[in-house]
Amino acid sequence: MDREMIIRRSPMRLFERSLHGGLGRGHIGVVTSRAGTGRTAFLVGVALDGLLRDRKVVHISTQYSADRIREYYEEVFHDLAESTHLEDRLRVHLQVERNRMIHTFLDHNFNVERLTSALDYMSKHVHFEPSTIIIEGYPEWDKATEDELKALKALAERFQSEMWLEAMVHREGEERDDRGVPPRIARFEEYISVILRLKSAEDHVRLQLIKDHNNTELADVHVELDPRTLLLVWR
Amino acid sequence: MVSRITNPKRVRNIGISAHIDSGKTTLTERILFYTKRIHKIHEVRGKDGVGATMDSMELEKERGITIASAATHCTWDDHHINLIDTPGHVDFTIEVERSLRVLDGAVLVLCAVAGVQSQSITVDRQMNRYRVPRIAFVNKCDRAGANPARVAEQIEEKLGRKAVMMQIPIGLEADHKGVVDLVRMKGYLFEGDAGSDVREIDVPTPLLPEAETRREQLLDVLSMHDDALMEAMLEDRVTEELIIAAARKATIARLITPVFMGSAYKNKGVQVLLDAVIRYLPDPTEVENEAIDMSGPEETTFAVVPSPERQLLALAFKLQVTPFGQLTYVRIYQGVLKKGDMITNSRSRDRVKVGRLVRLHADSMEDIEESQAGDIVALYGIDCASGDTFTDGKLDASMTSIHVPEPVVSLAIKPKDNKAMDSMVKALQRFTREDPTFRTSTDEETGDTLISGMGELHLDVYVERMRREYSADVELGRPKVAYREAIAVPVEFDYTHKKQTGGSGQYGRVIGTMELLDEGQFEFVNKVVGGTIPVEFIGSIEKGFRASMERGELVGYPVVGMRVTLKDGAFHAVDSSDNAFQAAARGAFREFYMKGKPVVLEPIMKVSAEGPTEFQGDMMGTLIKRRGIILGTTEESGFVRIDADVPLSEMFGFATVIRSVTQGKAEFTMEFSRYGVAPSDISEEMRKTWLEKREKGN
Repeated sequence: MDREMIIRRSPMRLFERSLHGGLGRGHIGVVTSRAGTGRTAFLVGVALDGLLRDRKVVHISTQYSADRIREYYEEVFHDLAESTHLEDRLRVHLQVERNRMIHTFLDHNFNVERLTSALDYMSKHVHFEPSTIIIEGYPEWDKATEDELKALKALAERFQSEMWLEAMVHREGEERDDRGVPPRIARFEEYISVILRLKSAEDHVRLQLIKDHNNTELADVHVELDPRTLLLVWR
Repeated sequence: MVSRITNPKRVRNIGISAHIDSGKTTLTERILFYTKRIHKIHEVRGKDGVGATMDSMELEKERGITIASAATHCTWDDHHINLIDTPGHVDFTIEVERSLRVLDGAVLVLCAVAGVQSQSITVDRQMNRYRVPRIAFVNKCDRAGANPARVAEQIEEKLGRKAVMMQIPIGLEADHKGVVDLVRMKGYLFEGDAGSDVREIDVPTPLLPEAETRREQLLDVLSMHDDALMEAMLEDRVTEELIIAAARKATIARLITPVFMGSAYKNKGVQVLLDAVIRYLPDPTEVENEAIDMSGPEETTFAVVPSPERQLLALAFKLQVTPFGQLTYVRIYQGVLKKGDMITNSRSRDRVKVGRLVRLHADSMEDIEESQAGDIVALYGIDCASGDTFTDGKLDASMTSIHVPEPVVSLAIKPKDNKAMDSMVKALQRFTREDPTFRTSTDEETGDTLISGMGELHLDVYVERMRREYSADVELGRPKVAYREAIAVPVEFDYTHKKQTGGSGQYGRVIGTMELLDEGQFEFVNKVVGGTIPVEFIGSIEKGFRASMERGELVGYPVVGMRVTLKDGAFHAVDSSDNAFQAAARGAFREFYMKGKPVVLEPIMKVSAEGPTEFQGDMMGTLIKRRGIILGTTEESGFVRIDADVPLSEMFGFATVIRSVTQGKAEFTMEFSRYGVAPSDISEEMRKTWLEKREKGN
């Protein structure tokens, strides 16, 4: 398959349809799951789809080294290329790397100001303006303030980017509302457009839509995550 | 003074690895001083003009960097320590890797202020490849801003290894006096002339709470890997011996990195570090090594048994020229090596006599009669190449060949006169023998001598050595990058080679595919069934393709990363021959290669630039301007590290540029990463030149 075909046939198209057109620029989406259920895999899947479509992606992490995140992309890209018999792999890989910035903050002192200044550096010095911003490990939902979420939302709007965040849901003992969302996340719903839950079933991970902008009817997402290849697949 | 080694359990072969300027040479110097191998301390850039003892080459003394790994022997607490000084610069990859091959353990020196820097990460990765257990020494605790606990955290974050603090400092910065040993719960102060008097004290009261907390953390980590210690903890009967045994086991299994600290320059903590080397790093019998059995048709590996009873197996890992002949450093893996022995070089099959066997200090040597498995010694006056294996002649085996990367850059050199010509030839012969990544060749068009290596600095050092050691004055050309070609899309081929020109004809038909191979140079897959091509010609076809790959059809550079799958074909009972099928393969390549939309590949370097955060934009801009791809950016405590893949052809002179855009505050390292697709403007230009050249040639 060539790149165009992979984009057209990607499960992400189906995911976007379920979301009535996707997350949308200037909006924040949050993917939630229990520990080890594939939030990074999902986020890398979203990022890779954008990268294949020649869009620019910034991946921010406060937990893992840049090398480790890059290895994750390499794994997923390799599996995708193998399973789709991707043509012209070298050139596509080059394009993916050119369109991606991985930026990590390892000193436990991350905040929106530092994120803003990193994004400003990229835009000013190398004209890199992301269509997608992925942030892992921030905010820390228990401690987060409304100001932080407000600032993130403002940043997404300023860069006209889709911003994806992640949140770990604790295994037990945590209070949740009737949709299964812990209040430490739900309290910021004003700033969050999409909430998604990853739920592990026997041999796959289901994607479940919990919030879709202002739509009251939530679509059933016919996409899942294959835990072996870490790829998004059709259900 | 040196006793014969009789018990390999009392041997430690260790390396000291570090980032430039984290004080590795100073530490080595102190170790030699405390083990009484030298009697005076010289500083690296000493005012006395003598320089530290381990930097044996002139050039190293001048630049304050260590280039060649020299092995030196010392004794501590009834143990023999062979200290292998490893270079601190990535351009000399082969030197580092060769030393790592013969090490059983290493001390990773880290700066208490700068922490885990890019170079340490590279060296750590190399050590992982050779599965070297290590302990960390956080040096420069006397400097302003020293924070050993933060460095320990960085070992976990940046190197992904479980760091365990075995000590805490007594005082930091200007007040740094010594360390508290968390195993014995005693303090150690280093007093007297050059810190030679180690005084044991009770843990200073203000440090007691921290020492207790850290000791608990230490026990927690160790007990996770050791049931005996876990039980002892539950029963409240933890002993020093139990802790040491658990820490030793976990270090050797590379589950933890114990962290020690001090200041080599201020003579703090070095003696207790030596104790730690003996306590926690493995002896030669605790390390698994493999050799290649070369007696059968297929190369198979077997485990080396580090016993003097076994047949001799020794690896020459380092050559040095001295005024009295070639000095060959060998690591003995099996058996005994005696003066007067006849030994066999398993590569050349030459039988040579061991005339002199010596043990080395960095600038003096001691003759010895014999040595045995586990030891590192040197042979005098034996002709061999670096990486050769010596045996007793009966054992047909070789130590696993070390991974030798292909050179990525070359430079034309021209001697200024005839005298320089002679010296240059001599120098080049010597260098290529010492260093397998340094090669020489002749430029087909200009007739110039080309030298090739792993980077600009790598070649620079040899040119300098040519001038200094051989007085060969040479003029330098512009550095040239080693390009390659590769096929981008799979292509089917069906080619018949047929010739009928009197006498017996030639006939061969080959059908199959050529495609890109992700890893490796070349792969040949035979899927012919039913005897459409007789088995004896399959090898001819592979040979034909291999030959064609030496020069691609796109720009005339070698082709890499290709898989050829032979699926079918045809032969003629009389006219088919080895030659005919080789020609068929070459014909198939010639006719179908271009249909695979080949691309030009260029060497891509992995560059790590590190500097204050405020320069991140400029650093990034400089890398991007050089067609760099930013792989990742890591911010930490006011510093930023940018990792990027940058084409080698754009990296010439980068050192000057990065310094000027960051006011000298950034530094960088680079190493060869991979081959990547060159942009179309470059490949089109190369194609034009190649076609013109070919036109002229025809």
